[in-house]
This record gives sequence, structure tokens and C-alpha cells, in this order.
Amino acid sequence: MLTQNATINLVELQQVPILKEGENLPGDFALWIFIFAEMLVFGVLFVAYAFTRANNVELFNASQLTLSRTSGAINTLVLITSSYFVVRGVAAIKLGLSKQCADWLMGAFLLGGVFISIKIVEFHAKFAADISMSTNAFYMFYLSLTFFHFMHVLMGMVILASIIVKARRGAYNAQHHTGVETGASFWHMVDFLWIILFPLIYIIR
Amino acid sequence: MQKLQSTRFSTLIWLILVALTIATFCIGEANLAGKSTMLTLLAIAMIKSQMVANYFMALRQTKVIWRMIMLAYFVIVGGLIALAYLMGLT
Amino acid sequence: MKYKSQAVAKLYFIAAIGLFLGQILFGLIMGLQYVVGDFLFPAIPFNVARMVHTNLLIVWLLFGFMGASYFLIPEESETELFSPKLAIITFWVFLAAGAITVLGYLLVPYASLAKWTGNDLLNTMGREFLEQPLPTKVGIVLVALSWLFNITMTMLKGRKTAISLVLTLGMLGLAVFFLFSFYNPVNLVKDKFYWWWVVHLWVEGVWELILGAMLAFVLIKVTGVDREVVEKWLYVIITMTLVTGIIGTGHHYYWIGTPVYWQWWGSVFSALEPIPFFMMTVFAFNMVNKRRREHPNKAAVLWALGTSVMAFLGAGVWGFLHTLAPVNYYAHGTQLTAAHGHLAFYGAYALVVLTMISYAMPIIRGRAANPERAQIMEMWSFWLMTVSIFFITLFLTGAGIVQIWLQRISTTPMSFMAVQDQISIFYWAREAAGVVFLIGLLLYITSFFVKGESKAFE
Repeated sequence: MLTQNATINLVELQQVPILKEGENLPGDFALWIFIFAEMLVFGVLFVAYAFTRANNVELFNASQLTLSRTSGAINTLVLITSSYFVVRGVAAIKLGLSKQCADWLMGAFLLGGVFISIKIVEFHAKFAADISMSTNAFYMFYLSLTFFHFMHVLMGMVILASIIVKARRGAYNAQHHTGVETGASFWHMVDFLWIILFPLIYIIR
Repeated sequence: MQKLQSTRFSTLIWLILVALTIATFCIGEANLAGKSTMLTLLAIAMIKSQMVANYFMALRQTKVIWRMIMLAYFVIVGGLIALAYLMGLT
Repeated sequence: MKYKSQAVAKLYFIAAIGLFLGQILFGLIMGLQYVVGDFLFPAIPFNVARMVHTNLLIVWLLFGFMGASYFLIPEESETELFSPKLAIITFWVFLAAGAITVLGYLLVPYASLAKWTGNDLLNTMGREFLEQPLPTKVGIVLVALSWLFNITMTMLKGRKTAISLVLTLGMLGLAVFFLFSFYNPVNLVKDKFYWWWVVHLWVEGVWELILGAMLAFVLIKVTGVDREVVEKWLYVIITMTLVTGIIGTGHHYYWIGTPVYWQWWGSVFSALEPIPFFMMTVFAFNMVNKRRREHPNKAAVLWALGTSVMAFLGAGVWGFLHTLAPVNYYAHGTQLTAAHGHLAFYGAYALVVLTMISYAMPIIRGRAANPERAQIMEMWSFWLMTVSIFFITLFLTGAGIVQIWLQRISTTPMSFMAVQDQISIFYWAREAAGVVFLIGLLLYITSFFVKGESKAFE
């Protein structure tokens, strides 16, 4: 066991890349660059929303009242819970429990589906009321931000699904589970972006 | 080699996040507005995000630099949003 | 060369370099016409020189892409090309169509050309970069389909790798988006809206997939780094490219009558377009630093690293300079755009094709790398061309800034032509840099004929 570990360490030493990939962050370093880039996009959009609002306070306050706070809050709970499930999934694979890991991630995946469904109902209500991105600056931001986030949830679900399939096949174990951690990191990002988005767009006035 | 986070701890974090979300929702339903409400809501949002990053993403176990980047992100984004809202008040 | 059929790439590469030379000659002609307006008039008017300059660019890059993929795909798929004969036929058809089209531009007034080639049947001509007569456009589609077919069939019968998948996806996109060149609505806003689906989604979307795949291929070959690592980077880079590039189309929709939200979408997403290019630079240098072998073809490594850096500067940095809506309000359609166009096309696409040629040509000619002297000459040509295009870019940037100031910001704005007189010094300097570029290109062509002791395969 000891010698085996030593060889593994030697191999790893030889492969230490210039960028120290994956050494520090949970999951793949390349994906973390992606995560930081995504955070930057959302950050810029959040701040742009806030400053545009500063010049149109009344318009923003009036339009904000037409949003469904309840569905926004439920969706926040849904995402937070799904994130928690993902945490449990990662914990499971660290103990080598592939099946439990897949089950927890499946739970997260299904909650992602719930989020998507609620969001679709919300979008439908807005479109039925003839609201579009050209209606006013508030709706432009509301629709852009929530739709862009919506696409990220979908992407996160695709990632989760592929991890679930691989986990079921037993592709991960207690030592090697970078893939699970990478997907988990992405999902948590989708979660905390919504945690900021929800009060910003739906509640703060 | 790596310390596993206890399940109970994660569950506790999840419960706190749920409680904070409900608090945010209630403030919204109560139709509160104004400077202190805005700052409270923003603070709650940033604390929640920071908790997800630190405990769920497990940045707690990584080098300080990554946590600092995350923290800086929340402080800068949150700060600029707050600034914009304060400008809207005057 | 592992597979006999890879040799068809040679034809394509020769044509690409020939047309590249043509492009540069016409560039010099029109560069001079900026300052000596009646140079070669009426034989080659400015608009014709410009059309030939830009069309040749596209055509030689397409030849380069095709040649490169006929070399790359068999090697990646570990099998012979599905049909080398089809590749050769396609080559001659494309070359003939290209030559006839350019001759048509040069010898026939554009209006007559339009009339003779059935523009009345389906009105597609007269739009920047899409000036080709209808039969040529149809020809391009057929050539692209034949290329795609040949490559896809090769891939299907062999090994499927991330690189060949990304490359094929890029080519599929290239073919699909070109179809929008047949759609020419009467409404000018719609016309421009879909025009960008060809122009923008090519160079800031699907072509970048081709670029990424080819760069990744050469890097694997010259560094010996694990395929897994390279593929991971490739996936992340192309995802970023597509997300930023596709929505980034919005930066063309600021002032053409499209909804206001494009100013936000376009600004935010195109501001992020430099990120995938930056990642490409990090990726390329990282791979070369981690190399497991010293490849005898030093020149190819230089071209590959050059591609990643110049693409970042040209496409990333110079693109960002004028991509934000409030800046673009003043900057659009000035020499700043021309500066960006030159460095981006050279850095991203001309260089990646030259990288592929530099790597593949010696192998096709039966050696791992060219003789030392030939390589040194090749590297000189790299530096001459790269430095001179960078100066062209700087001069045009200077011209652009002065132009924006005099024409659009100043309290007493001057007319377009009056401003052109004011910035002629920049145009002269640009022309001089252009001559250096031509020298670099001639040196490059000469390097193919240098004899000496060539490096054998290890």
C-alpha cells in the first residue's frame, strides 16, 4: 500500500503542470476558469441592472410588483436543496459509495427539473401578458437575466445527468472522482448566482 | 488525507440557507423598502452565497487565494449594487 | 506521413499560398489607392481591388482549412481518407470557380456580371464579402458539402476523437451558416441582421472551432502531451467561444434598427470574447512548457505559439477596444475596425493555416522537419509578417482614433473625405509596413525550395 502510494505520488510529481491544475480547487481547473468567467458575466449584468435602475427607480419599482415573488422564493428553496443533495452526493463518492452518489445527484437533477417547470410557468405568464424584452428596461433585465440563468440550470442538468450515468457504471471511486466534484462546483455556482438574483430582481426596491 | 465534512454540518448549513430564504421572502411580502431594508437583503444574499461557496463548494478546504477571490467577488458585486441603490435614493 | 491519402492536402496548401500572395498584392494596390486615389484607374478601381482582397482572403483560408482537414482527419481517425479522388475533384472545381470569379470581378463591370449570372433569379449579390455571383455561391455550398461528406465518412469509419469531432462541427457550421448568404430580404435591417449570421458567426463562431481543433492537433503532435489534457482544454475553450461568440453577434446590432436590448447583450457577451482567446494562449504555452519531446520542427512550434498570441491580440484585445456599445457609437465603421480586422484575420486564421502547413508539408514531402536553413528562413518570415502586420494594425489604429476625433467627436466635425486627407500619413506608413509583409511572404515561399540535410523521422 505504501509503495503503491509512493509510486502514485511520483507519477503525480512528474505531471505537475505549470498551472497546478486541479491542485487547489475542487474539480477540474479548466472548468474553474469557466466558472469565474460565468461569475463575471452575471456580476456585470447584476451591476448593470442596479445602475440602470438608479435612473429609473419608479419604473423598476412598479414593474417589479408584477413578478411572482412566491415562485421566485420556491425556486430559491428548490435550488438550495438541490445544492445540498449535490453536497451529499460528493460526500458519498468520497466514501466510495457510487450508488448513493448517483441517487443524491438524481435528486438534485429532479429538483432542477422542478425549477425549470416553475420558471416556464412564470415565463409563460409574462409572455401571455404581452411582456417582452422591448417592453421596458426592467423587463429587459428581468427576462435576460432569468433566461440566461435558466440556460445554466439546463446545462447544469446535462452535466449532472452525464455524471449520474457514469457513477451508475461505477466510473468513480473514493480516490478518483474529479468529474463529480467538477459538476458539483458548476451546480453550486448556478445556485449562488440565483441566490443573488432572486432578492435583486424580485424583492429589493 | 482529506477531512470529510460531516453530513450533519452540511445539513445545518442547508437549514440556515432555507431560513434566510424565508426571511428574504417575508421581507418582500411585508412590502418593506428603504435603505436599511435594501442593505439587510443584500447582506443576507451575500452571506448565503458565501456559505454556498465556502461550505457547499468546499472552498474552505482550499488555498486562501480562492476563497479571497470569491469573497472579493461578493463584496465588489454587492458593494456596487448597494452604491447604485443609494444613488437611486437621492 | 502515416496515410497515403493525406497527400491530397499538398494541392490545397499550394493553392492557399498562391492565393495568399494574390491577396497581399491586391492589398498593396488598394493600400496605395487610399493615398493615390487614381492609381491603376480605371483598370482596377478601389472597390474592385477591395473585393478581390477580401474574397481572396476567404478563399485561401478555405483552401487552407480544407487541406489541413484532409491531412488531419485521416491521422486522427487512423484510416485512409474516404475518397481522395473526390477531394482532388473538389479541389479543381473550387480553384476553377475561384479563378473565374476573380477574373469576372476584374474584367467585367459588376452590374454586368450580376446580370449574366442570374442575379435577377435570386438576388444575392452586392453585399460586402458576399459579392460572389450566384453560381459561385452555389459552387461554394457544393464544395463545402463534398468536403464535409468526405471528412465525415472518414471519421465514421475510423477512430472518433474530440479534435476531429470539433473540427467537423466547425465545418458543419461553416456550411450551414453560409446558406444565409442566399437570403437577401428587401428590408435593410433584416438584410444586415442575417448578413452577420454568415460574416460574424463564421469568424467569431464556427471558424474558431476549426482554429481550436487544428491548434490542439499540432500541439499534441509537437509536444507529445497527453491527449486527455488537450481535449479537456479544447472542450472548455470551445464552450466559452460559442457562448460568447453567438450572443456576441449583438455587437453588430447596436445601430442598425434592431431592438435596444442588443446593446446590453452585445456589450456584455462580446466583452467576454477575449476570454477563450486568452485561454488558448495559456493552453498553448502550457502545453509547450509541459512537452514530453523535442520535435525537430521548431518552426511549427513557433507558428503555433504565434497563432495563440496574435489571435488573442487581434481578435481579443483589438476586438474589445471598440466592442462596448458606448464606445462603438463613435468607433463603428472607422479605420479602427480595419485595424481589428487585419490583426484578427492574420492572428487567428492566416496563422493557424500556416501552422498546419508548416507542420504537415515536411511530412507530406517525406521528412519530419525541413532542413535547418529552411526552418530559419521560415522563422524569419514569421517574424517579418507578424511584426509588419502588427505595425499595420498600429497605424490603422492611429488613423482610426484621429478619424473618430475629427469626424465624430470634435465640435466642428469634418467630412469623411476631408478627414481621409488628414490621416494620409498613417496610410503611407501602413503601405510601407505592407511592403515588409510582402517581403516576409516571399521569404516564406522561398523557404520551401531551400535544399539541405533534412530531419528524418525519429
